[in-house]
Amino acid sequence: MKFAGTVDIAAPRDKVWAFVIDPNQVGQCGPGVESIEVIDATHFKATAKVGIGFISARFVVNMEMAELVAPDRALIKAHGQAPGSAVDATAEMTLSDGPAGGTTMDWSADVAIAGSLASLGARLIEGTANKMIGQTFTCMKSTLEA
Amino acid sequence: RSPYAHATIKGIDASEALKVPGVLAVVTGKDLEGYKLHWMPTLAGDMQMVLPTDTVMYQSQEVAAVIASSKYAAADGAAAVLVDYEPLEVIVDPHRALDEGAMVLRPDRGPDKQTNRIWHWESGDRAAADAAMEASEVRVTEDIYIPRIHVASIETCGCVADWDPVRQQLTLHITSQAPHAIRTVLALVAAGAGLPISEQNIRVKTHDIGGGFGGKVPVYPGYVLAVAASFLIGKPVKWIEDRSENLQADSFARDYHITAELGATKDGKIQSLKVKTIADHGYSDAAADPSKFPAGLFNVITGSYDFDKAFVEVDGVYTNKPPGGVAYRCSFRVTEAVHAIERMVDILAHEIGKDPAQLRMENFIRKDQFPYKTPTGWEYDSGDYAPALQKALDMIDYAGLRKEQLEKRERGELMGIGISSFTEIVGAGPSHDFDILGLKMFDSCEIRVHPTGKVLARIGVQTQGQGHETTFAQIIAEELGFPVGDIKIEYGDTDTAPYGLGTYASRSTPVAGAAAAMASRKIKEKARHLAAHLLEASADDLEWTNGRWSVKGSPDRFKTIQEIAFAAYTNHPQGMEAGLEAVNYYDPPNLTFPFGSYICVVDIDKATGVVSVRRFVAVDDCGNIINPMIVDGQIHGGLTMGLAPALYEAITYDENGNNLAGTFMDYLLPTALETPAWELEKTVTPSPHHPIGAKGVGESATVGAPPAIANAVVNALWHLGVRNIDIPITPQKVWAILHDKGIA
Repeated sequence: MKFAGTVDIAAPRDKVWAFVIDPNQVGQCGPGVESIEVIDATHFKATAKVGIGFISARFVVNMEMAELVAPDRALIKAHGQAPGSAVDATAEMTLSDGPAGGTTMDWSADVAIAGSLASLGARLIEGTANKMIGQTFTCMKSTLEA
Repeated sequence: RSPYAHATIKGIDASEALKVPGVLAVVTGKDLEGYKLHWMPTLAGDMQMVLPTDTVMYQSQEVAAVIASSKYAAADGAAAVLVDYEPLEVIVDPHRALDEGAMVLRPDRGPDKQTNRIWHWESGDRAAADAAMEASEVRVTEDIYIPRIHVASIETCGCVADWDPVRQQLTLHITSQAPHAIRTVLALVAAGAGLPISEQNIRVKTHDIGGGFGGKVPVYPGYVLAVAASFLIGKPVKWIEDRSENLQADSFARDYHITAELGATKDGKIQSLKVKTIADHGYSDAAADPSKFPAGLFNVITGSYDFDKAFVEVDGVYTNKPPGGVAYRCSFRVTEAVHAIERMVDILAHEIGKDPAQLRMENFIRKDQFPYKTPTGWEYDSGDYAPALQKALDMIDYAGLRKEQLEKRERGELMGIGISSFTEIVGAGPSHDFDILGLKMFDSCEIRVHPTGKVLARIGVQTQGQGHETTFAQIIAEELGFPVGDIKIEYGDTDTAPYGLGTYASRSTPVAGAAAAMASRKIKEKARHLAAHLLEASADDLEWTNGRWSVKGSPDRFKTIQEIAFAAYTNHPQGMEAGLEAVNYYDPPNLTFPFGSYICVVDIDKATGVVSVRRFVAVDDCGNIINPMIVDGQIHGGLTMGLAPALYEAITYDENGNNLAGTFMDYLLPTALETPAWELEKTVTPSPHHPIGAKGVGESATVGAPPAIANAVVNALWHLGVRNIDIPITPQKVWAILHDKGIA
């Protein structure tokens, strides 16, 4: 599944950049995130509870900031597992100067979901993913623009 | 269970699971490897994993088994098992599996088998069929896919394994269609593992089964794990699937990619048939097909028609899907064959502008041609196809319907009429050709007549709700004159029932039913000698009528079977063994070939693409009928199970091999709301070789119904340029076509 979008954030680029590469900050905006453990500068581990339809699973997700070009571009790879389900994702984000001193974020993500979440939740998965992405950006905007 | 359809297992950490209260043990493939129990044979002679040691082969495959004191503890324990996977390339499409350089999914097979082609099988004369096809005036070709479906019996698969360490006895309570075969496989597996469980100490009990339909013939990893777990902890261990596990991981059926070509004269005399098929078996061939027939009896594909030449070839292929290839209420791949031939004959009729009923009438094998040898080698025992079709045409007022259809088409309404004139092939089978894992496909009946004239009969086949208790009691009652209520039928306990191969492929009545008749006849013969002794007459001077032996010419001098039974224990002659018992292991001389003609009328909603079955007439011929109500019940259920794949059911996978039909929300079973009122009739053409002329009927309707429905839908849309729609014909598919044609 591929997702992509553009978000305008009314905050300067350096502030946005600092936010998105800090697991503890950006992690708070991930829906269902219960804990975040920073392993080193580019690796961290999150625990998140995800529900699709009648199925819910607690994922342990290992993330790696695979490419970081400050303050322009970040590539994040994630591998998460829950009992009977797994997720593998690559997300890319590009920042550019936006209108009125703000920042424009172009992002795309390629997500492969495997196991019972994909199998039993197939009908609902895209809608749920879109909702979760929406929640993430709403949270980021509101935190950064505050 | 594995989230991935194909992955390397880098490690399994069960330490957290073992801390869950109630969890007694966690078993992995590595644990089983020590006992050589990590792989087991399938009934098709392939190998299947009990638990994987290093590679998972399909999404939802068992990876570790948690043994716990309650199902909740087991579920918590399973969730706490940490497995480290490295995903591998996934092969979902069987065509891709055969590509040059495709990843070999089963490297465990021998060095000469490093390919995803499991086997190649062919039947008929390729050169002759090619030549005949070349010479045909009209040739029609079509790709027909019969999708993967699931039996979805109401009761999922499960068992309770009870190893008694004191008596060294294993009792397996199991929902199986073939208890004796299960016992033998267990004994062989245990011997291979060096476990002290030998066949006389294994008792398999099946009790009542909540639906079988072919899905409860195979041996599943859960059975072996339950036995191993009971052996490990010395207590009874239960394994039962939940609904999603059942739909995702149990043996599937169908999944045949068929390309068929039919040759005929321009006025519609059919001559030749060529069929090439790819059979998707998932990662292991776990079909229950007889050894010599890896594609089952698929070469019955010449159907009810007098073909001059035919050639059929099938390639079995591995993919990253659950193993299987079971016969879902179908005698070994006959549904696939019948669907293909009935679709092809209909396409030919439409192509040359001939009425499909007329084309069938002109091409049927005639009554005087039986026994009829097909170009693929079968000998049809008996048949009379034209009267069955005529009866169906009359019942439904075919001419009137065609007139209505023309009128409606003028008005732009979509109505279609579809016919299926199928020939089934059931009753496997003669021992010279039929075995499963070497076990010949005879079946058995043992009859004991008690002194008071009451009867206990045990059979080697296994009811799943189709009324063996009634049918077999009636066979014995008919042969021996006992009231049906005086006969008790037992099955499904391997300690008491005679050895048999079980119930599937419509084989109970053709094989064990014949055994019941033959055992009865042995008893009748002994009764004749007992009667002769009691009547002080010569055995040669006695005649049998209505449950009594009487002296020829003196009908008032007789002994009833009940009187004879009493004498067998109280007054038997010197030199004769006491008692009145017999057993028969029946080896059928041929298969039986039930047939029928079905006609379906559908209306299609132009706005939504919804297909409604308005009427469905089914004329069946299953030879002599033992119990009409049971036969009608079988046909009702079978028709509904034929409607299901025609319009609703299919197991599909996404490109990563995730099963997309793991719930009844996604895998649509027809309910009473979708099911039309079936209109049934019969013709009777007895089997000449069966002791009571019966042919079997459990699967005719499942086999015959789908093409009648598909033919009706295509008939409704042919004038729009539609040649074929693969089943299930969902509203989405029809709507897309109508939308494409500018109608919806």
